Amino acid sequence: MTMEKGNIFVASKLIHVSLHEVENQLELSLRQAFVSLNPKLHPPFSLQIPNPQEYIELNKAIVYSVLCDSGSCKTHIKYLHALVTDGYAFFTSLLVGIVVELYSKLVDSAKVQLLWVTKEMISVLSVGIDDLVVSLLRRIGSGDYSDENLWLCSELVSLFLDEWDCLVEDLPLVLTSALYSFLRLLADHCRVLGIAKLDNVKRLEIRFCVKMFREQMHLCLKIGREIVRLLQDLVHVSEFREIWNDLVSNQCADIYQSRTSSRYFLLRISHEMETQLRFLLGNVKLGSHKRHQIWFLKKFLLGPEKETVLIDIVRFICCVIHPTNEIIRSEIMPRWAMLGWFLELCRQNHHIERSVKLALFYDWLFFDEKTDNIMNVEPATLLMVWSIPQYPHITHSLLEFLLHLVETYDTRHRDTITKGVATAFREIERKGVIRSLDIFLSNPALSQDLKKKLSNLLAPVKLLKPPPAIGPPSEAVLRECVTSELDRPVILHQYRRRKNQDKRTEAVRSKEANLNAEDQ
Amino acid sequence: MNVFLKDIVPAAQNNINTRFIILDKARSSETAANGKSCIALAADETAAVHIQLWGEECDAFEAGDIVKLSNGIFSYVRNSGLVLRAGKRGKMEKIGEFTIAFVETPNVSEIQWNPDPENPKRYIQNGAVSAYSRVFPPLP
Repeated sequence: MTMEKGNIFVASKLIHVSLHEVENQLELSLRQAFVSLNPKLHPPFSLQIPNPQEYIELNKAIVYSVLCDSGSCKTHIKYLHALVTDGYAFFTSLLVGIVVELYSKLVDSAKVQLLWVTKEMISVLSVGIDDLVVSLLRRIGSGDYSDENLWLCSELVSLFLDEWDCLVEDLPLVLTSALYSFLRLLADHCRVLGIAKLDNVKRLEIRFCVKMFREQMHLCLKIGREIVRLLQDLVHVSEFREIWNDLVSNQCADIYQSRTSSRYFLLRISHEMETQLRFLLGNVKLGSHKRHQIWFLKKFLLGPEKETVLIDIVRFICCVIHPTNEIIRSEIMPRWAMLGWFLELCRQNHHIERSVKLALFYDWLFFDEKTDNIMNVEPATLLMVWSIPQYPHITHSLLEFLLHLVETYDTRHRDTITKGVATAFREIERKGVIRSLDIFLSNPALSQDLKKKLSNLLAPVKLLKPPPAIGPPSEAVLRECVTSELDRPVILHQYRRRKNQDKRTEAVRSKEANLNAEDQ
Repeated sequence: MNVFLKDIVPAAQNNINTRFIILDKARSSETAANGKSCIALAADETAAVHIQLWGEECDAFEAGDIVKLSNGIFSYVRNSGLVLRAGKRGKMEKIGEFTIAFVETPNVSEIQWNPDPENPKRYIQNGAVSAYSRVFPPLP
């Protein structure tokens, strides 16, 4: 489409342009390369080896032409095959850039071409093809039943089925990412009624997921313990019942010990959502966050179906966004406050609320101090603690939910789960996320029954003495409702995550220890 | 040269190059003579300001949009007060969304500007009428 910008006509065949937006630099550079090199993209092809700058421009021109011209794309790709010298790394990186920056603006035919060229890149195992495929997976929206989104979903599932052999052989981890994504999407798709176009998508998704379980179980298990959480939502689907029974009776104990890599939690979060969440939790001060929250809500959470993404957002915030010491000490919006807001948002929908709470506490259930990260359990902890003064019912309901989970999540592995949750509590005290578990155990705002249950849970786990206070109390001193037995207030102070988790001595704990994000 | 909002000064010149995020937009009003226009609250890391959108601009930009203003003008407009706008020779373009950590005070449209006695074409600050926008008060 053409548009007038000042007196210059700008024609883009790749994206929809808007009069009041700056020109996108990526699109501009691709288009300019195409305009200047188009004659070279047809036979007879030059036999001259391009210099590095020419190589870059040729790649750009071919990307633009392949996406905009379905008639000549095969010819252009042949030329790319002939002149490639970097394993298609640059070419693929341009495609990734397009998916990340421009996908929503692409004209429909370009989207079709994008899927086509992705298949081409799979067939040559281009450098960066895994990034490209994962970026496309992340473009499938949650709770979005528009034609465009369902089209993308079914195209990608079909791609995984069509390219199965190649992917199993050469890109198995891409298959595990796909499994995570489609299991999660299926959970939503199987709950929605009345959308005819969804039936075909569901059929394909089920076929892919079942094929993975039947033929590549070892790959499925690479996802780790989250696979249980994902499959649980599909137990009511007949094709999964046998898989579930199989898994549950034979493998659960091992699966629970297997921590899920945090890269999976990015899969259901779009790039824009990731940018905005990271910005909120890294730059926006608590108190100045309201307008940002409204914009986030409007962009991503408007519509009853969209709330499902809250489940994924909670996993993402707990497991992927680990703020630095500096940010924790500052006035920047803390994770627990964001999570409190998200919990408020899903109160109307019982199923979503339950799933969001499970997402919030999932890391507690199998917590192992040797392999699990205290930063995954810190947000729920602080949410419970900080709710006490003004919203004790929130603390109550969360703690009650957690303790109920211990009893009911998996009755055959109740001991494992009890140990996991007790360990999580012990670690949050030991590492100084809270000063003392007394804030729960001795709190008059919580019911006797609840406190007793918690006390019973913690009894077998040997609690270390609370660490001495380090430094002056922070300005965020929590005034606890103390019982008559305790005559000193419990102070919430900053905590540190030790660089080397093997060093357990309290001498190692230091205010200036760096927090390194741990990610495998 | 890009300026921060805290540094803009009313003048009859269209020389303001800046960028801001739109916080809130009022309803458009239509006048027979001038076409559609509306006031919005915008801000950057240093200050807030009232901006005036004209014609198609009213629908082109939404709260949360980050806008680049080229050759804009900051002056008194009847019934709208002191506003920043593109004017005839300027241009507003969307460059992004969301990622500005803004402040809502001071609001340079709510500052009392008096002509500089030594140079009536220049204005100097003389205290704030209001710390925040009176049109778009901060959210409770």
